[in-house]
Amino acid sequence: MKMRQWADDLAMGVRFAFTGGREGWVRALLTAVGVGLGVALLLLTTAVPSALHRRDERSTARDDFTYSQKTLRKADNTLVIASADTTFRSKDVRGRLLEREGARAPIPPGVATFPAKGEMVASPALKKLLESGSGKLLRERIPYRITGTIGNSGLIGPTELSYYAGATGLGDHLENGRVERINYFGPSPGHQQNQLDPILILLILIIFVVLLLPVGVFIAAAVRFGGERRDRRLAALRLVGADGGMARRIAGGEALAGALLGLVLGTVFFLVGRQLAALLDVRDISVFPSDLNPAPALVALVAVAVPTAAVLVTLFALRGVVIEPLGVVRTAKPPRRRLWWRLLLPLGGLALLYPMTGQGNHNGQFNQWMVIGGTVLLLIGVTALLPWVVEAVVARLNSGSVSWQLAVRRLQLSSGSAARMVNGIAVAVAGAIALQMLFAGVEHDYTKRTGNDLNRAQLQVMVRGDVPLSEVGRQLARTKGVRHASAFSQGSVGDRAKDPNTTLEVAVGSCAELREVSRLTSCRDGDVFRILGGEYDSDTKKATKPGGTLYFDPAYSGTTSHPVAWKVPSGMRTAGQHQDPTGYARSGLLFTPGALPEAAAAGLRQQVYLSMDESVRDAYDYARNTAARLDPLADVYTLASSEQSLQFRSIRNGLFVGATCVLLLIGASLLVSQLEQLRERKKLLSSLVAFGTRRRTLSLSVLWQTAIPIALGLLLASAVGLTLGAVLLRMTGETVTVDWASVLSMTGIGAAVVLAVTLLSLPPLLRLMRPDGLRTE
Amino acid sequence: MTPAGSLLVADELHKAYGPTTALDGADFSIHPGEVVAVMGPSGSGKSTLLHCLAGIVTPDSGSILYAGREMATMSDAERSALRRSEFGFVFQFGQLVPELTCVENVALPLRLNGTSRKQAERTALTWMERLEVDDLAKKRPGEVSGGQGQRVAVARALVTSPRVLFADEPTGALDSLNGERVMDLLTEAARSTNAAVVLVTHEARVAAYSDREIVVRDGKSRDMERIV
Repeated sequence: MKMRQWADDLAMGVRFAFTGGREGWVRALLTAVGVGLGVALLLLTTAVPSALHRRDERSTARDDFTYSQKTLRKADNTLVIASADTTFRSKDVRGRLLEREGARAPIPPGVATFPAKGEMVASPALKKLLESGSGKLLRERIPYRITGTIGNSGLIGPTELSYYAGATGLGDHLENGRVERINYFGPSPGHQQNQLDPILILLILIIFVVLLLPVGVFIAAAVRFGGERRDRRLAALRLVGADGGMARRIAGGEALAGALLGLVLGTVFFLVGRQLAALLDVRDISVFPSDLNPAPALVALVAVAVPTAAVLVTLFALRGVVIEPLGVVRTAKPPRRRLWWRLLLPLGGLALLYPMTGQGNHNGQFNQWMVIGGTVLLLIGVTALLPWVVEAVVARLNSGSVSWQLAVRRLQLSSGSAARMVNGIAVAVAGAIALQMLFAGVEHDYTKRTGNDLNRAQLQVMVRGDVPLSEVGRQLARTKGVRHASAFSQGSVGDRAKDPNTTLEVAVGSCAELREVSRLTSCRDGDVFRILGGEYDSDTKKATKPGGTLYFDPAYSGTTSHPVAWKVPSGMRTAGQHQDPTGYARSGLLFTPGALPEAAAAGLRQQVYLSMDESVRDAYDYARNTAARLDPLADVYTLASSEQSLQFRSIRNGLFVGATCVLLLIGASLLVSQLEQLRERKKLLSSLVAFGTRRRTLSLSVLWQTAIPIALGLLLASAVGLTLGAVLLRMTGETVTVDWASVLSMTGIGAAVVLAVTLLSLPPLLRLMRPDGLRTE
Repeated sequence: MTPAGSLLVADELHKAYGPTTALDGADFSIHPGEVVAVMGPSGSGKSTLLHCLAGIVTPDSGSILYAGREMATMSDAERSALRRSEFGFVFQFGQLVPELTCVENVALPLRLNGTSRKQAERTALTWMERLEVDDLAKKRPGEVSGGQGQRVAVARALVTSPRVLFADEPTGALDSLNGERVMDLLTEAARSTNAAVVLVTHEARVAAYSDREIVVRDGKSRDMERIV
């Protein structure tokens, strides 16, 4: 075949796409919108790694902790910085207090000038929140005057809540873990990028395949929109002398036009989506539009692959169609679909994945290409097997109501287009089931039970020691939404005043409060107890021999403190162990206030467990406000029953975001192709209504037409998803277990999408059934 | 004035589609067993008249009485039921369900009326025999010729033994030989069941099969005296 001939025919097809009048335009536009949506999602998804990388870069560039053992001395180029992070209605707020010690002190990225004491520079999102009515409660906690905004280079995302406030006297609190002296912002020496372990890499790879494959399947379906009308047009071309091959290539040219227009629309959708991304905040992740840059190689690949695929898919689709000069004949009995080559795809996938069985057990690296190849083949296998399954099953369906008969007959005649319609959703569900299995299987490796007893406390507050304990307890207990506050002081004693060899934990509180952390038979003010055998205890017994001297707040090289000596009394009683609300079983010493040397109080920190009244709106934020009032550097922790690895959680969140986009796209694609099919049948629907067919019958037949292939698709997707999930779990060395709840929820979501699409297509269906469709003039 | 013994009578029908007036005071009547041809040029409103008479389209004003009942007072469901059981339809094209076999297409109106599938297909085959297309029973519409397809459509229109058969350009897509054969069979079958036939056509040779002709022009109808 001469290239010239091909080019001419394709070009003619492109011309027909745009000169075929309203109908041609509608078809080209439908294809273009379909392809455009797919292309936009493809570009957005492939831009995600770069966006996350840029976020990570900016996050590292503002690192303000050196992790260094060496203490930095005050100098012209130093800055004292204190972390004042907080949480407002479950959203994290990054806060830093700054005290410049010299003219050359480093300035945080994104900040133009240092804020003076009582002033702050805030991120645009925080500024907006604080200026709004809903941020009033947070304003009490962050009362500084806003003098500027943090630029993009100092933020990880556009919706990040962040501020830098000026402060004085921070240098006095350098021993506090939240205060540090630094001379630059950025990664500490020897900083290494967090390396993902092989299982997390495997998860990410599978997520990409699972999210992108349905998009590809969707694009392939989109280029075939409106095929039936186009075929009739091609018949007219045959009449004026085009041969069969030419007609097919012209059809390919029409699809090419749609795909090219789709690329343009896709780019527009992508650019619009990129701008809209700045407004979105999904599970605390937001990105700047400028971060969403797909790799140029991937863009080039999309630009070439999409139009090429459009032509090839059209030529492939027309192989079973005979375009005659007087009309189009779909081969009355299409050749039976063969199973053998369709089975080769999933089997090939399994063959690629199988050799990696158990590799995750030994922290081995998976061969990424084999993982991608194997998963793609298995999932593509769904799209190859589904037409065969639909054909084989619907051929056996027969008796039933009129609506059922209409649907079944339609499926028997064109099971391919029905299968094509649900391919995308089947692939997505199969992938999601496999991913859910993998997530559930490895979750325990990345999730830790905290041991927190949420029946006793839900919030833990730590305040510096110079705020009197009684004041801390009283103020927090009086706070709106706090049911009960249990406050005690906490610190340590060492066997030496400086650089001790042995240190013991110390808790100071009333008998009632000490009972929160120990088991006491009898207790009076002035008593002191010891607890043996706590979680990290090996020294309490040895260090608490009567007559021995211990030192409160011992000094370490590089830090300043004021050690206070204390003599171990004879006859000191031993308290029983009792876990505190965080699940921690302590050891060391317990003092009632009367037993504590007066000077020792200064070296202690105050700790309060709060039991909250969940029915009070913003109860946690009232408590946080009180804590901030008591100590701007107070630590407030929300207790939770378990905590999950940040990376694992991020990947799961990423999957959630991606899956939402893909499901929306698939829903949109189903709707478009459903409407397209209905439009093609407008006349028939009108004539059926004309001779008295109930609208309910026709609506039900449309539902059956979608529900039958979807049910089959979901069954097949479940089988392939479970197989893929089992193989992936074996690769990671985990026991293979099926989480039926997630299988059902995934298939349920798939079914819900179909139901939603059917419901959405009902109004146009009812409109198409109007007898007006019979009018020809 | 209502002509005595009329089965279907329309009086002063008005219908407009947006700015376009399709019917502008059209009248019509037909007796049981009578074949009436509605003639007129393209766009004159003859198809709209048929759609109004059949209860497919509601006129903007005017009245239509079927067997003494005012159609305007019927609900959509009642009109649909009427079309299913009392009326039959033949259109120019695009009326057979391409997925169903010919016998299933013919049986469809009976099935919509609740007849069992077996019984419906048995009755359908009888009608297909009368219209000489019983050999096509298992074929799909896409596999038969235009003339054969139209005879299948006539069989479908008559399978419920309707009291009125509406035919809109039934031979419009056929050659003259096939057209004549379809008209022979259609009128013969209708007369044998005493069904009234409303025949919309613009061809004089098709209109020649009728007992009476009505001409529609600019939305107005006029009775023509048959010259024999």
